[in-house]
Parts: sequence; structure tokens; C-alpha cells
Amino acid sequence: MSSLLKGNYNLKKKVETKKENDKDSLEDKFEKEAMKHFGGSIAFVKKKKVEWDLKK
Amino acid sequence: MNPPESVKKNPSGHTAKELIANMEQITWERTGPMSLENAQRNVKFLDRGKSLVDLRGVPVGEGDHAVIVASGPSIKFKDPAKAIQSSGYKGAIICAESAIRYLLTHGIVPDLMVTVDPHPQRIVRWLGDPDLDEEKLAKDDYFRRQDMDEQFARELEVNQKIIDLLDEHGKEIRIALSTSSSEVLVNRVLEIGMQIYWWNPMLDDPDAENSATRELHEINGLPCVNAGGNVGAAAFMMADAVLEKKHVGLVGMDLSYYDDTPYRNTQYYDAMLKVADEEDLDQFFIRIHNPHIDKWFFTDPAYMWYRESFMEIAQDADCMIYNCTEGGILFGDPIEFIPFQRFLEKFSS
Repeated sequence: MSSLLKGNYNLKKKVETKKENDKDSLEDKFEKEAMKHFGGSIAFVKKKKVEWDLKK
Repeated sequence: MNPPESVKKNPSGHTAKELIANMEQITWERTGPMSLENAQRNVKFLDRGKSLVDLRGVPVGEGDHAVIVASGPSIKFKDPAKAIQSSGYKGAIICAESAIRYLLTHGIVPDLMVTVDPHPQRIVRWLGDPDLDEEKLAKDDYFRRQDMDEQFARELEVNQKIIDLLDEHGKEIRIALSTSSSEVLVNRVLEIGMQIYWWNPMLDDPDAENSATRELHEINGLPCVNAGGNVGAAAFMMADAVLEKKHVGLVGMDLSYYDDTPYRNTQYYDAMLKVADEEDLDQFFIRIHNPHIDKWFFTDPAYMWYRESFMEIAQDADCMIYNCTEGGILFGDPIEFIPFQRFLEKFSS
């Protein structure tokens, strides 16, 4: 697209072209946020029961 | 915020299995930072209770047995409280906070109540939210939709009933109060005057480098308990590892829904609709046949993860485990799946 549209003057501000993956990152962001709602109530830690005193 | 159309139309394979495989990470993102933040705020209230250490090995209830009461959908069909009442059972009764209304309305004051989820608004509802009003209700329909305790559908009325019940009996009840608990929940527990035993939930392996669990322990010096993903497993851990009971029966521990439950009444329905259309929700659920009672149930990724976690905990338990739920998907070695009546006959004097 940028090869077809060419301006005939220079802008003071540099315009960044939108990258193709911007859309993906928005979706990723949305999905990541939505996925948080699926989580459990608290962590599960394998092979552990109670640690009465971790300083020992 | 509405999801991008491409996300709604293509949930990109976020099937139940995929979610279960990532549940540890998803759970950390939902609860880890919030738990740490809550624990820091709760330091100022630690002197309003004792440490869970003070409950270790204490004779709670008669004998070496305990019943864990969770609030799965089976409690309304099986009514385990009625069976407890008529059996003369005198062993320990430990409940999830979500089951407190059920027990108190059936005339049972549990020996110990457990809470762990750091959610900022929802958990206090199980104990009655003094600030609940129509405006708050309009923002969150979680309890109206739940298949756990359907009485919660009549929200304001039930809320007042729980407040009254806990005002009457709350002081008699010990609570294993996780430091991850929200500000409103802690305020409510303090207001009721419950007997507090503070503990830290393990947020990760305390032996790992930069462990958040170790950070918690350094903040408050309290014991760290593997809560097994949810409050039901945490309640079991209290019976097994803290009270050192040798025979533990579970009721209301369905970890699933009855086969005719509408998806709308499942716990993550809203979350599912954020990433999929209504007609695509089948992919989030797993159907499981319970051979002990020859019935089908369906479960969601979180419940399935709870099941897998509990089965691992069961392997390391120092007690016999009897699942007396008479429904659901929690079965398999070493858990004995038996009717609650049989458990009560065995352990009632």
C-alpha cells in the first residue's frame, strides 16, 4: 500500500505505519485478559502440604 | 469491552483441555498479585486472631474423623445436613465458607470454616455483605446464576438472613482465614467476631527461587498451606495436615454439574462468552460418567483442574478419604466413594 500512496509534501511529524501484527496483539491482549476469568481460586502446589516455618 | 469479532468467532482452540493445561498460570495471573497485596494489608489485623499453628493437633470435634462440607449442587438433592442431624454425629465438621448458610439454616454450627479466594467482592457474600444493595447487584449476577446454592438467587433477602445467622452464631465458629482474603471479607469476619486462625496459601513452590510464598511468609511469619486450588481442598488440608484427622468424609464436593444444568448456571459462563459465542460453549466442558452411581456429569476447566489437584493431594494424604457426595466426578484410587449414610454409621457413636 505504501508503494502506491505517495505524498507530494513532507509532514513535520513522522507517521508510523501500522504493523500487521497490531491486530493480533489486540486480540492476544483481549484473550489474555479474558482468560484470567477462568482461573481457580488459588494456586495448587505439587507435593506440598503445610510449611509451618520456612525459616528453618 | 466487547471482544474483537475475530476472537468471538474463532476462540482459537481454547478448549477445556488447553485451559486445564494452563490453569496454573491463569490462576496465578488472577490471584497471585491480589493475594500478595491483600496479605500486606492484612498484617495490621493479625493480632485480632491467632496463627493456624495454634490449631495444630487441637482436638476439634470428637474422635479421629471429620466431615468436609462444600457447596456443590448435590447438597440440595442429598441434604447431608439432615443426615448429620439425625445420626448423632459428633466428629469435626469443617466447611467451605460457601456452605455456611446451608449448615446454619439446618441448625448445624461447624467447628471450623475455611476461606481462601482473594476475590475483592464475591467471597464476602457467603458471610453476608452488609453493604449489598441494588446497585451492587446490578453489576454482578454471579450469585443469581449459580448452581451451588440456589437460595442465593433471592439475593437481598438471603443476604440479610446470613447476616442475622452469623450475628447469632458467628462468635462460636473458628475460621481458618487466609491472608489472601479481601478487605471487605476480613472486615466482615472482624465485625462478626469469629475466632480467627490466620494462614498463608501457597502461591507457588516455597523452595523455588524468588518464591511468592516465601515472600508471604517473610511478611507475616505464618504457616503456608497448599490450598489445592480451591476452598474445598483447603478445608480438606485443614482436616488432614492441621487437625490430623484419620478419616475424612467429603460432601458437596461435586466439582461438576448435573447433566441437565444449563450452561448459564455454570461458574464461568460470563468468561466463556467473552471469547466464544453461546452456540460454541460445548468446547469448554467435559462430560464424565460416574460409574459408582451410573450417572453423567459435566465439568468445566477449573473444576477439572481442582479434581486433578485433589487426586494428587489424596495420594499424599495421611488419612482415609471417603467421598460421600453421592454425585460428581471426584472418584478413583485412593478415594473411597461411599454413601454418606455409611460414613455416618461408621463414625457416629
